[in-house]
Amino acid sequence: MTDPEPLVRIEGLTKHFGETVALDDLTLDIARGEFVTFLGPSGCGKSTTLRILGGFERPTRGRVILDGADVTNQPPEKRQVNMVFQDYALFPHMTVAQNVSFGLELKGMGKAEIKRRSDEILSFLELESYGSRYPIQLSGGQRQRVALARALAPDPALLLLDEPLGALDAKLRGQVQQELKSIQRRTHKTFFFVTHDQEEALTMSDRIVVLNHGRVEQDGTPEELYFRPASRFVAEFIGETNLLSGRVRGKEDDKIVMDWHGQTLRGLAPQGSPDQGEPITASVRLEKLQFHSERPEMPNAVRGRVVGKTFLGSRMAMEIAVDDVEDAMLRAYVDAETGARVGSDPVWIGWDVDSMAMLTD
Amino acid sequence: MNDRPELFRGNRIFLACIYWAFVLYVFVPLILMVLMGFKDSRFIGFPIRSWTLEWYTGVFADTEVLSTFGYSIAIAVLSTLISILVGTWIAVLLEGRKFAGRGLTFGLTLLPALVPGIISAIAFRIYARWLGIEPGMGAIVWAHAVHNVPFVVLVVMARLSTLPKSQIEAARDLGADPLITFLRITLPYLVPAILGASIFCLLLSFDDFVRSFFLGGYEPTLPVMIFAMLRSGMSPEINAIATVALVLTAAIGLWAERFTRRMNKER
Ligand SMILES: Nc1ncnc2c1ncn2[C@@H]1O[C@H](COP(=O)(O)OP(=O)(O)OP(=O)(O)O)[C@@H](O)[C@H]1O
Ligand SMILES: [Mg+2]
Repeated sequence: MTDPEPLVRIEGLTKHFGETVALDDLTLDIARGEFVTFLGPSGCGKSTTLRILGGFERPTRGRVILDGADVTNQPPEKRQVNMVFQDYALFPHMTVAQNVSFGLELKGMGKAEIKRRSDEILSFLELESYGSRYPIQLSGGQRQRVALARALAPDPALLLLDEPLGALDAKLRGQVQQELKSIQRRTHKTFFFVTHDQEEALTMSDRIVVLNHGRVEQDGTPEELYFRPASRFVAEFIGETNLLSGRVRGKEDDKIVMDWHGQTLRGLAPQGSPDQGEPITASVRLEKLQFHSERPEMPNAVRGRVVGKTFLGSRMAMEIAVDDVEDAMLRAYVDAETGARVGSDPVWIGWDVDSMAMLTD
Repeated sequence: MNDRPELFRGNRIFLACIYWAFVLYVFVPLILMVLMGFKDSRFIGFPIRSWTLEWYTGVFADTEVLSTFGYSIAIAVLSTLISILVGTWIAVLLEGRKFAGRGLTFGLTLLPALVPGIISAIAFRIYARWLGIEPGMGAIVWAHAVHNVPFVVLVVMARLSTLPKSQIEAARDLGADPLITFLRITLPYLVPAILGASIFCLLLSFDDFVRSFFLGGYEPTLPVMIFAMLRSGMSPEINAIATVALVLTAAIGLWAERFTRRMNKER
């Protein structure tokens, strides 16, 4: 973010569609070689941002600076940006090789050079034996790779990908995610990836920008977003979590002490410090809760009873009713063996300060 | 279906009967016409005692008939080219665009196809005289082109509406300006529609009598010539000419059908 010259600088981008506000004063920098993911629920303005970057849409307000130049009003053909479309948009009347060469021809390259470059990119994506096929003769995964090859061929400064894996089945999807990530690493290209799938975002990105109602909710590494969500929205949107609502009791260094139905809990303070007595919500990830038979030596510990177990293969989801706190349920993941051992006796649940993020709403 | 086999079967036989009755109704006159063209007698009717190719050799030897064929084909080709150009252009302008008066423009575009032939022929005649255009090939081509444009617009627009927007955007994204995008993406996508519309226009023009009659000069088109020949009574030559025209149009139609189907399969 502090890069003196980011590849892309989005300044105060606002887009209205009639009454709808698709983007609301969005400001964002993208560094060179970054794999940035735009994550958010349906209709939050992800595609709109991408389409403005690609040149298919003009913002109502704001600017897009690419490589130091203002490209806000440049048509798509003038930009050093290529896009992988959600439906791939392969040209049906052209072979794979012709599809890939299309952008090269329009750059005014010579025949021999086009051939060399398109062969190179096809073999890079392991498509060399499909060059003479038509898109209709390919599988979904192959089409996806051709779309990627076609967008990479003209050597764009920025590659835009709008939910490119949406049409693939779950198994292939996982495989392609790894592939895409490795291609990004090997090409050192800047990828701007859009998805509404949080798992996909966590797996692939260097950095995730969570968008909600056309505004940035949080911007950080996958780890930051997962373990230190800044808002309730992010905590709920990414992964599963326990949300504990209580009141601020006080502060200790960089920790917040909260009162949760009479229990004293300690967690990491959020940005901006809430005052004593204010309501506050804390988020604890399911896998951060530990089971003990005695009260553990941990900053946070509560006693409860396991009231439900769900077998999930390698692990087990436990539901714990906390003693003396009505309607308070905690959910936790434990490995399957531990889960099997836990009976109906009271158990102690403990977690660290680091595992509990305090949220501003 | 298996629950009511009896009813279903009865239905099917009934439908089959209707179908074959329809086929007979359509084809018997054509078959009669073709047969009479090979009959070795000027008298039209059964029985046919002997066969001949005399009428055909006569027709093919007659330079006037041949030139009329050529004339009609030239008119069909020219008017089709014009309708395709104008029609495709209008379709591209109208499809997927919103502007004030789009509905009105669309309605006006379709009007020439809806006006009864005789009325539009008379109107054209008056208009042509007013403009000082001589009756003849130019006038006929013009009238046919105007009449056929709406069909081209409809067919091309229907095809255009199925072109995914992302195709256009992908081309632009890869560096094509709007013109190159049209030539390299939109146009190839429209080829089957344009081809189908062309065949339709060719046949409409080749077949037209009313406009050609009202706007023609001294040289008749094929239908007008046949009409003229009819005035001196039905003759085997007419059957021969009509059979040749029938074979020609049927061949073009079948080829176009096969071609478009193959093209659709490829994509
Ligand atoms: N061309 C348009 N005309 C009118 N409204 C639009 C248009 N494009 C987008 N919108 C509206 O703008 C908002 C943001 O849309 P956008 O496509 O950016 O969402 P998204 O985050 O990509 O969602 P999804 O995950 O469903 O693709 C939505 O409310 C949408 O209805
Ligand atoms: Mg979208």
